[in-house]
Amino acid sequence: MQPTITIPKTSAVFGSLLRADFTTQWRNRRSFILVLLVPVIILFSWKGLIGKLGGAFVIANCMTVGLIAIGLMGYSNSIARDRDKGIFQRLRVAPVPSWAIMMSRLTVQIIMISLMSIAVFVAADYLDKVTLSPAGYVLTFVTAFVGGAVYLSLGQVIVGLIKNPETVNSTTRLVYFAFIMVGMLGELGVLGDDFKNIVHWTPYGTVKTMLASSMEPSKWNTDTTTSLLVTIGYTVVLAFAGIKKFQWNSK
Amino acid sequence: MNNQDGAYILQVQGLNVFYGSFQAVNNVSFDVKPGEIFGLLGPNGAGKTSTLSAVEGLLKPQGGSITVAGYNAKEKPLYARAAMGVQLQATSFQPELTVAEILQLYAGIYGVSMTKEKLRDILTDINLADAESKKFGELSGGQQQRVSLIISTIHDPRLVLLDEPTSGLDPQSRRRLWERIEAIRERGHGVLITTHSMEEAEAVCDRIAIIDHGRIITIDTPQALIEKHRNDPEVISVSRRGKITLEDVFIALTGRAIRS
Repeated sequence: MQPTITIPKTSAVFGSLLRADFTTQWRNRRSFILVLLVPVIILFSWKGLIGKLGGAFVIANCMTVGLIAIGLMGYSNSIARDRDKGIFQRLRVAPVPSWAIMMSRLTVQIIMISLMSIAVFVAADYLDKVTLSPAGYVLTFVTAFVGGAVYLSLGQVIVGLIKNPETVNSTTRLVYFAFIMVGMLGELGVLGDDFKNIVHWTPYGTVKTMLASSMEPSKWNTDTTTSLLVTIGYTVVLAFAGIKKFQWNSK
Repeated sequence: MNNQDGAYILQVQGLNVFYGSFQAVNNVSFDVKPGEIFGLLGPNGAGKTSTLSAVEGLLKPQGGSITVAGYNAKEKPLYARAAMGVQLQATSFQPELTVAEILQLYAGIYGVSMTKEKLRDILTDINLADAESKKFGELSGGQQQRVSLIISTIHDPRLVLLDEPTSGLDPQSRRRLWERIEAIRERGHGVLITTHSMEEAEAVCDRIAIIDHGRIITIDTPQALIEKHRNDPEVISVSRRGKITLEDVFIALTGRAIRS
């Protein structure tokens, strides 16, 4: 008897995974709302600061908060939970390449980044009457993906180092609030100039700088390019560490 | 024997699995034929799950070879996995997905066309016709087990691996599951099952291997094992009510000490 087993096309497998992962994300309303609503709420509450700080500064901060939520609260928590439930192990005993399982999860987060960006753009226009040039929208969209990558990598490090889903959940909440509070207050200069300078080169600061410059492409300067390179550097280092430490089984 | 001539659906030879310096599986060899239910029995920590995990491709063995339906699992892992259906010990599907969505997901993964009619037929067959839009997390343990088994056979695999499939089931559900496992055998497929239940092993397995401390102690039919060890003093000493059972043989071979 000659072997006659056929394996399904990777594109078909990937399509099935993506449909299931996106349905799971959609039904996980709390995470969905947190990602979409919090940046819009901040946008609304900072309405009065737009005249003082500029529309680009405010929108960039809101988008950075959304990106942090996607990477930390959305991605890492779903990975930690599914790993603990053995969902990944069940998929891995099927003829599915491991990279396809992760790529499907990341694609869902990329879709979330797109939705969050659109929500912020629409809210900025509707609530604050802030609009960008077409080039500004396109560049900000692209930069959001680059910025999102650094937080997804950070989420990957957390699930790489911590196996227990409850501990992952509490750690990501802590890091999320620490990033937001320190990032926002630091960027506003509330914690002093030295701290402002430090925050400027943290993942919060570099992503915010990139996003703000992308909204006004004419203001893209050396500082923005350096921020882009630092962001990519953070992403590479965190992704490498997170993938290296990651285990499919939490046991 | 040529592993592509249909004699074996699974062939494990000289399997070695280490966790650091601890050897969990030591030179294990066995085979499963088409139309055979093969049981892997052993106390806790004996090496059953490690052996099964190696066959499933969940861990990399440090030595030996695994061949599934003629495919070397190391060289052609996707083909080997496509040839087998697996039911893991823990139910493991996204609780937010409905039963229908989970079936569609795995049909897509295994390249099986899933029409609405086919979906309805499958659900009717496992007495879950009215649970199509129920989320997996809302099903009872027995219902989840049925969904899990049907997914492991959704692509009509040549080899089905079942890791303690009846643990936690009531007698009715267990009997029903045995019938399903026997139906897989009737179709000429091989089944590898791990279980702690000697009753189950006697009831459904054509051959069993007893594994302990990572080594296979013996392989034979349940009845032949009982006959072979019927007069062993250790077997007689552990037997209850004067009748020698597979459990007596198992305890005599693996010891009375409780394993962690």
